[in-house]
Amino acid sequence: MKALSAGALGGRVRPVERARPLEQALWWLAALPAIAVILIGFGFPLLQSLTASFMRDGNWTLANYELVYRLYRQDVFYTVGVAAAGLLLTFGIGIPLSGHLRLRHSHVAEFLLKVPLFVPFVVVGHAMRVFLAPRGTLLSTLHALGLVPADTTLAFSEGWMGLAIALAWKHLALVVLLLMGAFRGVDESYLEAARGFGAGPIRQIWAVLVPMAAPSIGLAAVLSLTSMLASFSIPLMMSRGSGPQMLMIDLYHRYGQHGDFGTASAIGVVSYLLAAGAAYYYLRSVAK
Amino acid sequence: MEGRRAPGSKPQARGRGPRGLGAIIGRTALVAILLAVIVGPLLGLVLWSVAERWYWPAVFPQQIGTKYWARITQGDLLGALTRGVSIALVTTAAALVTSVPIAYGAARARLPLGPVVLMLFLLPQAFPQLPVFASAAVLFYRWNLAGTFLGVVLIHLVGGLVYSVWTMTAVFRAIGEEIEEAAINLGASFTRTFFRITLPLALPGVVASSILVFIYSLDEFTGTLLVGAPYVTTLPVYMYTASLGYELQIASVTALVLMIPGVVLLVAMERFLRAEYLAFFGRL
Repeated sequence: MKALSAGALGGRVRPVERARPLEQALWWLAALPAIAVILIGFGFPLLQSLTASFMRDGNWTLANYELVYRLYRQDVFYTVGVAAAGLLLTFGIGIPLSGHLRLRHSHVAEFLLKVPLFVPFVVVGHAMRVFLAPRGTLLSTLHALGLVPADTTLAFSEGWMGLAIALAWKHLALVVLLLMGAFRGVDESYLEAARGFGAGPIRQIWAVLVPMAAPSIGLAAVLSLTSMLASFSIPLMMSRGSGPQMLMIDLYHRYGQHGDFGTASAIGVVSYLLAAGAAYYYLRSVAK
Repeated sequence: MEGRRAPGSKPQARGRGPRGLGAIIGRTALVAILLAVIVGPLLGLVLWSVAERWYWPAVFPQQIGTKYWARITQGDLLGALTRGVSIALVTTAAALVTSVPIAYGAARARLPLGPVVLMLFLLPQAFPQLPVFASAAVLFYRWNLAGTFLGVVLIHLVGGLVYSVWTMTAVFRAIGEEIEEAAINLGASFTRTFFRITLPLALPGVVASSILVFIYSLDEFTGTLLVGAPYVTTLPVYMYTASLGYELQIASVTALVLMIPGVVLLVAMERFLRAEYLAFFGRL
């Protein structure tokens, strides 16, 4: 009846409203498995890791967090530092590059920049390990070109810098993609006006494109930062035995080698908080 | 804006072709630098994959050959490859069947819970995966799913559904409701309209979304390592094990094999891949 009266008044009847009750029930039933998979495979484990982080030997305790503080507090700073360096590198290259490509379109450059999107994280980790190793293929090439003396080794590659470079290599593609989309959304007339006042390419990027695309830049930054903070396969493939480690590597060893699920979960909760902190900071700056 | 330009004024070149020699040099330099930075590290893999003998300080391998590539056709590498492909096929089929109804529902039904349900499918991207997958592995051990084919498919499905549900929702939203209304007004039922009208129109998007899930599953490492290893080994886990044992050649061959599907997709479909799909690929 409702549908009929809506029709009589000239209103439209949406196809969904024409579904019979049995049909609707079947559709909802068909939608349940996907929800169940996410709840069983992610929602429930997420909650379990939260409770497990406060449990030891069946009792509620903060002992796991104490251990995290005692053993891994340096690694929290190390992880944030590596992610920040990676982010700086990604955007330090990504913003001028996307801006340049917005002003001077280049098919070849854009195609090349898409390549890392299709290279899985594990492969990036292995490729960078081989490439940046103290006597890796980068050094071999530099030798072959006669740019460095034969007895040099690349000292930086095994530490935080190598990790930051690898993370930036992988994330640059996504960041450029997001930024180019945002920069393309900036109307050409603003750039024409800037050029009319004599602004060169650098001024056009900094004074027009970046401020107008600020929300997208913020989103791209939060997306890459949370991904870098939680990065696991790249540091695992590049990891060395000693020195500070990324938090996810600590978590993996705590869980795999020590079988200490409680402390591993506490490290996990710290990583949730770091990710949530980045997201919160972004949301607050958007809301302003 | 266009119409207001004064007659006779030259429209600004919008990056159409370089102007002058300096621009040509600048453009070539940019492409050369990008080529070195992006392709350079990958070329290292190619070099290592054919290096039968390579001792420092030789700049290039002393002996080059396809000895390690031959491993693809035999034994453990082939096993990991076929296992990974079959897991990816099952995961893709399962993601397809389970995502279509929920994506269509999210695109069409205006329910108060709709956005909440969609946000649920963002969870695996919003939270760090490793701690959650470690926790899932604990549960899977309890349920005898750890180290099984089914367990790995399930953990791949968790990540894969993020891609399929979100891309398919966008695909169904892009199809106009008017065309469905026309079918219904001609007497077709809601479900019949979906299968005869909507789904065929959505097919290209559904295929793209399936390719996304397939490649995600093929490349998935964290979940497979935690839930599957050591009994269910796919190529990424195999590569990690090889690299742990300093078998750099084997690891490099595996890495290159892992890159093939993505590169094929990039080269074959570059023009058809819309930015929103590409953005999803960045998270693989």
